[in-house]
Amino acid sequence: MRMPRPSSGRLLRAAAAAGAVTALTAALAGCATDVTRPRVEGSLGPVFANLYVHQQTLLGHPGLTPAAVAARPTCHRTTPGSHDKGAGSDWICQVGWTDGTGRPQNGKFELQVRSNGCYQAGGPSKIVGPIMIRDTAGTSVINPVFEFDGCFDTT
Amino acid sequence: MTTPATPATTATATAAAPVPPAAVHPRPVGRGRVATAYRWEVTKLAAQARTRATLAVCLLAPFVFVVLLDRQDRLPKDTLYGRWVHASGFATPLLILGFAAQWVFPLLTSLVAGDIFASEDQHGTWKTILTRSHSRSQIFWAKTLAAATFTTAVLTVLALSCLTAGVLLVGHQPLESLSGTLLPPGRAAGLVLAAWATALPPLLGFTALGIMLSVLTRSSPAGIVGPIILGLLMQLYAFLNGADTIRHLLLVTPFDAWHGLLAAHPYYGPLRDGTFVSVGYLVLCLAVAYTALRRRDITGG
Repeated sequence: MRMPRPSSGRLLRAAAAAGAVTALTAALAGCATDVTRPRVEGSLGPVFANLYVHQQTLLGHPGLTPAAVAARPTCHRTTPGSHDKGAGSDWICQVGWTDGTGRPQNGKFELQVRSNGCYQAGGPSKIVGPIMIRDTAGTSVINPVFEFDGCFDTT
Repeated sequence: MTTPATPATTATATAAAPVPPAAVHPRPVGRGRVATAYRWEVTKLAAQARTRATLAVCLLAPFVFVVLLDRQDRLPKDTLYGRWVHASGFATPLLILGFAAQWVFPLLTSLVAGDIFASEDQHGTWKTILTRSHSRSQIFWAKTLAAATFTTAVLTVLALSCLTAGVLLVGHQPLESLSGTLLPPGRAAGLVLAAWATALPPLLGFTALGIMLSVLTRSSPAGIVGPIILGLLMQLYAFLNGADTIRHLLLVTPFDAWHGLLAAHPYYGPLRDGTFVSVGYLVLCLAVAYTALRRRDITGG
């Protein structure tokens, strides 16, 4: 059987291709990122509002709507020089919303944002309650706003 | 069967060849032959213990997984829908979908795709199959189609098994969407199947990758392990938050495209881009494999 041997020309081409890929990687490393502040804020607000309505229904306060909750997040990254963009577990979002009684609420949420546009948010348990809550029937269920996931479009 | 015979034989002849003998043209060389070779490849695959074992594992593993998950209190929260596995049976298939993309999918497809060409080298049977009036390109397309069939079968079996395991063992409670709204059971079931269907393009991309490595290295271990290692390296790149422009070109990124389907206002951008990327891998890898096989010198054993 004839074994194909890598010729010097082929090696040269491979080296050139590897070099081009490295240069391209370096050039693109500083480029635009999929995770931006408007996208994080635009996703967290509606997701929290929906889940908060769900939680209030579980606790026996139906009738609230996501529009009435009107969650308004303000997000930033705590790492200096990150310019509030890019994936990371250092995203902090200050969320203001209106509860069932019409009173304004405010809480700090810690977000772990992944590069694929999905994040895990942890709410302040003093305001949103513990991980497990009792619903109106007395059963222990997961508190939807204690920790939750969300995703946004990265295209 | 040229002699006129009993009605029974005539009936058989008519069933076998519906075209009257006068109208028979020489068979088109391309498609018919590929179909014959494809049937043989599928028959060979179906006879392999590895193929059967893989399908059996895909059928049973989700049930074992759900039972094990049901017994422990800690939830796999790091993966999407991990926190809802006890709350809704529709969360189970989505959790497994997110988890399988990490390395299970490349493994499942390359078990066949990475071996289907290299096994002929291993057994020294290239000369045998090529003398059977089938050209190299016909054998190539037949083997490629057989590998793609296996990939599709594995994905279908695994998806249906996960959904069944979730619904039977956990229940058909409404599912939390990725926007925090509740999806009714019927809609959730449809979305779960659609989400699994979006894994098919990248999975076929990995199949092509396995085929390419199988043809180039002529070794089954390299063809099977190669796609898994490449998949893990791509995962690592995404995990380390590398440049997003390159991440979009990786074959593991389209495995996340289903997230858009589960939003209250669905978005399909990642699915569109992911499909383009998958087709790109598919075409490129198959082109390399095809060229390599055509140019190969198969005169020895």
